[in-house]
Amino acid sequence: MKRAQEPVISGLISPSRLGFLKRKQVSARVGGAEPGDGRGCLRVTALGRAVSRAAVCSALVLACLGLAESGLHGADAPPAKIDIGTLPAQAQAIEDVVVPIPSEVFGVLDKLGKPQWADVLRTTKSGVKPTGGAEQTALILGTVIAEGFIAVEAESAEDVKRIGKSVLSLSEAIGVKKAVQRRSQSIVEAADHKDWARVRRELDGALMDVKGAMSELRSDELSQLVSLGGWLRGTEALTMVVGRKFSKEGAELLHQPVLLEHFKRRIAAMKEKRQTRLVDLVQKGLEEIRPLMAGADGVEVSEKTVLEIGQIAERLVKAIQSKGN
Amino acid sequence: MVKRIASLILSILWMLTCVSRATIDDAYSFAMEAAHPYVKEGFAVRSDYWGGDLPVKRTKAIVHQLFKGNEYWFWMGSDTQAAKISVHVYDSDGNLAEVEAWQKPHMAAARVIPKRTGSYYLMVEIEKSPEERTHWSLVYGFR
Repeated sequence: MKRAQEPVISGLISPSRLGFLKRKQVSARVGGAEPGDGRGCLRVTALGRAVSRAAVCSALVLACLGLAESGLHGADAPPAKIDIGTLPAQAQAIEDVVVPIPSEVFGVLDKLGKPQWADVLRTTKSGVKPTGGAEQTALILGTVIAEGFIAVEAESAEDVKRIGKSVLSLSEAIGVKKAVQRRSQSIVEAADHKDWARVRRELDGALMDVKGAMSELRSDELSQLVSLGGWLRGTEALTMVVGRKFSKEGAELLHQPVLLEHFKRRIAAMKEKRQTRLVDLVQKGLEEIRPLMAGADGVEVSEKTVLEIGQIAERLVKAIQSKGN
Repeated sequence: MVKRIASLILSILWMLTCVSRATIDDAYSFAMEAAHPYVKEGFAVRSDYWGGDLPVKRTKAIVHQLFKGNEYWFWMGSDTQAAKISVHVYDSDGNLAEVEAWQKPHMAAARVIPKRTGSYYLMVEIEKSPEERTHWSLVYGFR
C-alpha cells in the first residue's frame, strides 16, 4: 500500500477544492511538500499532471460519445452474496481504517431529532492549554477538535473561536503549529461570520493538516492519539445525546466494532515510549468499552449500555484533560 | 566515482518513489473528480482515502464503518486510463449492500444506504488493465 499508514482523521473537501485537477494540493499532502516549494516530488508530479490531463481528456471524449458508462447489474453484475469469512488471502482486508469525523455521526442525530447541543458542549472561559507530555497533548488536541464539532452543532461562535485558538496552542506544543496556523485563523473568521459549514470544513482540514505534519515529523503514533482523543469525546457526546432522549436508532450509532479493533491494534503497536500511564489507562478503557460497542451487527444497543459507554468515555476524557497526566 | 554512482542510484530511487506517489495522486484526483458532481447534491466528501496498486482480477477488501441514517457514495479512480475498475459494497453477512453503482473508464462508484450501523466490506477490483499493476484510490462522501 502506498498510502500513509494512518489515514484516520480526515477533512471534508470544500467544493472549491474539488475542482478539476487540483493536483498541487494533493501532491503536497502525499509527497510531503508545500505547493511550489520546489522539492522533488512536485517536479515529478507535474509530469503526472500532464499525463493525467491527457487521461481526463480521453475520458471526457469517450463519455461524450456515450461509450463510457455501463450500468451495474448488467453482464458484469457483482455476486449478490459473498463469503466474508473465506476471502482469498490476497483479498484480505487492508489494515487502513478511516475513522468517521464527528459530523458524520452528529448529522444522523440531527435527522433523528433536535438534540440540545448546547447542553452537550463543554465551554471553557479560557482556551485549553497543553499539559503533560506529547502523548497527552495529542489526546487533548483530539478532544478539543471534537469539541469544535459540537460547538458548530450548538452554533456557538464564541466557543468555536476559543477552540480555534486552543487548536493552535496545542499544535504548537507538539511542533505542528505552522501546519494549522492558517486553519486556526479561518476557523475564527468563519465563526465570526457564523458560516458553520465552513467552520466544519476548516476543523476537518485542521485535523488533516495536523496529521500530515505529524506524519512528516515521523510522529504517526501521536496523530493516532489525536484521532483517538477525538473519537472518545465524540463518543461521549453521542452517549449524552442518546442518553437524554433514548431511541434505538440513536443507540445503534454506538455499534462501532471496526473502530474499536482499529484503536486497539494501533495502541498495541505503539513504541514503548508512547505507552505512558495515560495511554495505558485509555487502552484499558477501550477494553471495557469493546464488549459494549463491538457485538454482532444488528444487535440492539440498550439504554443501560449507552449509559455504561458514556460513563467510561467520560472518565477517559476527564483523564485526558486532567493536568499532567 | 563511488560517490557519483551512489548518488545516481539514490536519485533514481527518489524519482521512482516520486513517480509512484504521483500515480497514487492521479488515481486520487480521478476519484475526486468522480465525486465532484455529487457535492452539489449535498454530499460531504472526505479528503481521506484508501489507495494502492493491484494486478488485474485481484480484489482487495476494505472494512469500513457505516452509520444507518446516512447515505454514502464511494468513488474509485485509477491513473491508468484504459483500466476497467469496480467497487462494490457488502454488509458483514456478505450480502450486496449497494443500491446503485456505475463504471466508467478508470472510474467506478457505488451508493449505499445502510440498513444497519456496523461493518461493511468495500471490494475494489481492477477488472481490466494494460498495466501489470494498476494504481487505484477510493474516496467516500456522505449526507
